[in-house]
Amino acid sequence: MNDTSEKPLPHPAPESLHFWQAAREHRLEIQRCNACGQFWFPPALSCPHCQATDFVWAPVSGRGKVFSFVTYHRVYHPAFAKEVPYVVALVELDEGPRLLTNIIGVAPDKVACDMPVKVVFDDCNESVSVPKFTPNDAAA
Amino acid sequence: MIEPSRELRDACAIVGIGNSRLGRVPGVSSLDLLVEAMHNAIADAGLKVTDIDGIVCRGPDESYTHHQQIGARLGVNARFSTTLDNGGASQILGVALATMAIKAGMASTVIIGFGRDSWSRTHSSKEANLRNETRPDNQLAQEFGPEYGYFGAVAAHAFGATRHMHLYGTTRDQFGHIAVAFREHALRNPAAQMKKPLTLSQYHEAPPVVAPFGLLDCSLRSDAAGAVIVTSRERARDLRQPPVSIKGFGSFNNLRGWFADDNMVTTAAKKSGETAYRMAGIGPDDVDTAQIYDCFTYMVLAQLEDYGFCKKGEGGPLVASGALRMGGRLPTNTSGGQLSEAHAEGMLQVVEGARQMRHTYPAERQVTDAEIALVSGHGGNQVCHSTLILGRA
Repeated sequence: MNDTSEKPLPHPAPESLHFWQAAREHRLEIQRCNACGQFWFPPALSCPHCQATDFVWAPVSGRGKVFSFVTYHRVYHPAFAKEVPYVVALVELDEGPRLLTNIIGVAPDKVACDMPVKVVFDDCNESVSVPKFTPNDAAA
Repeated sequence: MIEPSRELRDACAIVGIGNSRLGRVPGVSSLDLLVEAMHNAIADAGLKVTDIDGIVCRGPDESYTHHQQIGARLGVNARFSTTLDNGGASQILGVALATMAIKAGMASTVIIGFGRDSWSRTHSSKEANLRNETRPDNQLAQEFGPEYGYFGAVAAHAFGATRHMHLYGTTRDQFGHIAVAFREHALRNPAAQMKKPLTLSQYHEAPPVVAPFGLLDCSLRSDAAGAVIVTSRERARDLRQPPVSIKGFGSFNNLRGWFADDNMVTTAAKKSGETAYRMAGIGPDDVDTAQIYDCFTYMVLAQLEDYGFCKKGEGGPLVASGALRMGGRLPTNTSGGQLSEAHAEGMLQVVEGARQMRHTYPAERQVTDAEIALVSGHGGNQVCHSTLILGRA
């Protein structure tokens, strides 16, 4: 198989390993500061709100809303040739942090800012699952 | 709020302006394109290469020791020499740094420039094109991006456009007015890459790239370079060209990120512009022409709001009113900009702003009686911004 036809998999930074390990087990976990109680993302070893270094990986609801989104029509990477048009979105979790992700299970032209969404996990292979989001009709 | 230095207002001037051949210049490296622009700027100023004792420059993102390679090609040593790392905000920052270095007595005559070979490297082969599309620079994220099919600056800026459209009802039709106005300006510029007229309906018919952006919302891939020379006001009086006064500058960096806060709608241009206006002692009503960093149509609209030319959210009606065209309320990107002249990461906006202040253009390209030009720079990961205010000396 031509290696350019495979979708890129995440190459985690050391501070992100826990996020991807939890995702593999279909849990969405985000760092929460033990000093100020706020969440942050993307992963880092100190809190961007209060600079404390004491944190826990805390499970989050997996619910949020679309802050903004774009629809790829052009194929930038050959592995996505069969996906276009596909939606890349910035989802704001109920807990505050914003995650870059895909919105799936809905036609691209039905996606809208502020639309409620919930997490689902896409199993890429035996060791990698990627959190994506789908409309949360219960909250609409 | 800290107060920008009034001592720097009108302390230095741009005395030399140059650009390379623009558009498609196969067989010439980014370094040699920049040297071509620098030689033109030096000749324009009536200086010799050995008069240059400062270099602040930048090239393609992967360049290392860029200013050293440029100095070697120019054949000069320098008291003050460096390369900046703020993406498209670097070039105005270079002018600011030159002014500070001159006032600090670290250099007398500083050349600032940027050059790239983006047309050549995109179109040289299919492999080069893929590499360019998926690995635009060595800062590419290895997670939280590629696995979702998230690549490229088009999408990053399109996120801002979507949000602005959601909040304020801004339309693609309004984005189209920006593309059409700048194309009209390019047709008056013989050096411009784009040579054909553009209508609003052609804008809408162009293929989508990353919605809401279509092809004509996106700036050009160009082989292009520009350069300017800065020296003290006193020295400028003795040189060949009418000096263009550096009245003020500013910068701001939303380092918390493009996706944080409201940064994709209210950009770092707002605070950068406030600093520059205060240094220059002017406000938006005093600006006669704007040269705005137009990597994408939406970014022009957002920055016009952030610079105070209208309220936040009213950029759509402003651009649709014809304000940006020659003869309009605020003629903007009068060379055609990065959407239609050539893309050199904001350097050609500095070049055009300075040329407008010389009043040496033929009437069809000259903003009538223009006394003040505002130039913007935007870049990095969409969060670095710089502002330059130029005036007739």
